Amino acid sequence: MSTPAIQIENLTKRYGEGDTAVDALKGVDMAIWPGEVVGLVGPSGSGKSTLLKSLGAVIAPTSGRMTLGGQVIFNEGWKIDDLRTLRRDRIGFVFQAPYLIPFLDVADNVALLPMLAGVANAPARSRALELLQALDVGHRAKAEVAQLSGGEQQRVSIARALANHPPIILADEPTAPLDSERALTVMRMLKQMAQQYQTAIIVVTHDEKIIPTFKRIYHIRDGRTYEEAGEGRDV
Amino acid sequence: MINLAGRDILHGWGKFVFTGVGLGLLIGVTLTMAGVYRGMVDDAKVMIDNAGADLWVVQQDTLGPYAEPSSVRDDVARDLLGRSGIMAAGNVTYLTMQASSLVQTTGQDKEVRVMLVGFEPGKPGEPAYLIAGRPILRSHYEALADIKTGFALGAKVSIRRHEYTVVGLTQRMVSSGGDPMVFIPLKDAQEVQFLKDNDALLNERVRTASNPAFNRPGVPGLLEAVQDSQTTSHFVNTVLVRVTPGADVEEVAGEIRRWKHLQAYTRAQMEEILVARLIATSSKQIFMFLVILAIVSAAIVAFIIYSMTLNKIREIAVLKLVGATNRTISSMILQQALGLGLIGFVVGKLAATFWAPLFPKYVLLLPGDAVLGFFLVMLMCAFASSFAIRAALQVDPANAIGG
Repeated sequence: MSTPAIQIENLTKRYGEGDTAVDALKGVDMAIWPGEVVGLVGPSGSGKSTLLKSLGAVIAPTSGRMTLGGQVIFNEGWKIDDLRTLRRDRIGFVFQAPYLIPFLDVADNVALLPMLAGVANAPARSRALELLQALDVGHRAKAEVAQLSGGEQQRVSIARALANHPPIILADEPTAPLDSERALTVMRMLKQMAQQYQTAIIVVTHDEKIIPTFKRIYHIRDGRTYEEAGEGRDV
Repeated sequence: MINLAGRDILHGWGKFVFTGVGLGLLIGVTLTMAGVYRGMVDDAKVMIDNAGADLWVVQQDTLGPYAEPSSVRDDVARDLLGRSGIMAAGNVTYLTMQASSLVQTTGQDKEVRVMLVGFEPGKPGEPAYLIAGRPILRSHYEALADIKTGFALGAKVSIRRHEYTVVGLTQRMVSSGGDPMVFIPLKDAQEVQFLKDNDALLNERVRTASNPAFNRPGVPGLLEAVQDSQTTSHFVNTVLVRVTPGADVEEVAGEIRRWKHLQAYTRAQMEEILVARLIATSSKQIFMFLVILAIVSAAIVAFIIYSMTLNKIREIAVLKLVGATNRTISSMILQQALGLGLIGFVVGKLAATFWAPLFPKYVLLLPGDAVLGFFLVMLMCAFASSFAIRAALQVDPANAIGG
């Protein structure tokens, strides 16, 4: 088997100190392979967001080990100095609300990420168009963000997450604001993109409609994860 | 790389431009205040230039004739002409007062505050040029008026007991206070300045006649001589002197001070008296206004940019999460602040240029002040943006992720 796109072992996160300390993560283990889309499911307060922020290198876990494409990025402390560059080049984010930049058109919202990584304007825009077309929103490339429907905006945010071809994408309840049909369309797109770009995608969700689409699901409860085989239903 | 600031401005250009216009009007007021100060200084300098003199000979121990009352005998001018290094000398009186003229169209008197200048035609103190009409040719009751008085050629102007006909018009002949000048013959001006009205004269004659010191029995002619002296004046405020070409002005001034027991000021000294002393309080007042306006403008820019930044806090968190550097975000906010300043400055400059001529006093908008103002506005905007930049840099990228 190939190297996992991301692997975490015994990851913990403690907020606060002493009597008021809260253990949000109590030894989480996960391994996601390239091209795989897994679900992360759990009730509110279970530690989902903390795990997502740890995976996204936004907060530092308290202990444990984390590798990205085989490279150790955390082992009882960050092993990479520049987390900003790590996030920019190797981790994609899709949020519950698309959070697109309202003053940029659709294409530039996607092209901005490669540009931030130093890619010249023309190739960055060309990459953006390619992704937008793959996600069926190529025809809206010049549109303003506000002119797009919720589903279209979410597809643009997926394109943005893929813009730097990261090995992993963290999707935080990406279908929450969408109806069933659009939610399944987004899931189809995520699966398609994962296959096409060999990107591992972790989808945090409560959404009963999309849970059956995962082949593997991590349940998180009280800071611990439990792996379960999903139905892997086609969308 | 996309210019994020430019795109944001274009996206919400209406709000941005209107904010810039509002700021611009404030900057316009600031530029106008600077123009008012410059106008005061320029009025003072123009008054000195228009006098056409190298030296102002005034009463000893006074800063006259513009800053303090000064009284000099009118025969001093004749004495000065006999001294070496002096080419011309002219007696001049200055008096700020109300003058009125009948406006034909309305049939009503128009009152104007003017500086009345008495001068001797052909001698220093006479206006250097006229823009209309002719110089004063008659000995009495003719006047030259600055166009700011609003008096037309041929207008009859009432000054105290007499009526004067405006025969010529001048331009930029104003006092340091900005009052337009009206020039009349020296003898008339002496009468206006130093002589009393008929009732007062009559009263004075009776008082003199009842004074045994002036109405002595056996001294015929004494009372009449005293009374005559009370109805004529031989005082002026200053003697304007032009030195001969090549003469050392300082040396001539020194000679006058030493031998004539008078004060003589050079052009530079007179300028110093006017600018540094006479209008010093006013300029400090205006400077305080400028400082307050600058602080208010900076506070407004800071508030606007801060609000604009807070409205974008989620976008900033996303930008930070996806790898935008602090420099990229700071640069976006700074550019917007500078853009706002640029719009504000352009609007302010246009507004100041438009409304400056409407002011009753001279407002001088110097290009140098505009350039300095531009850099100050930019500096102020850069400083004001620092608060918003600080807030933006404190945004946690984790805010972009829910939970």
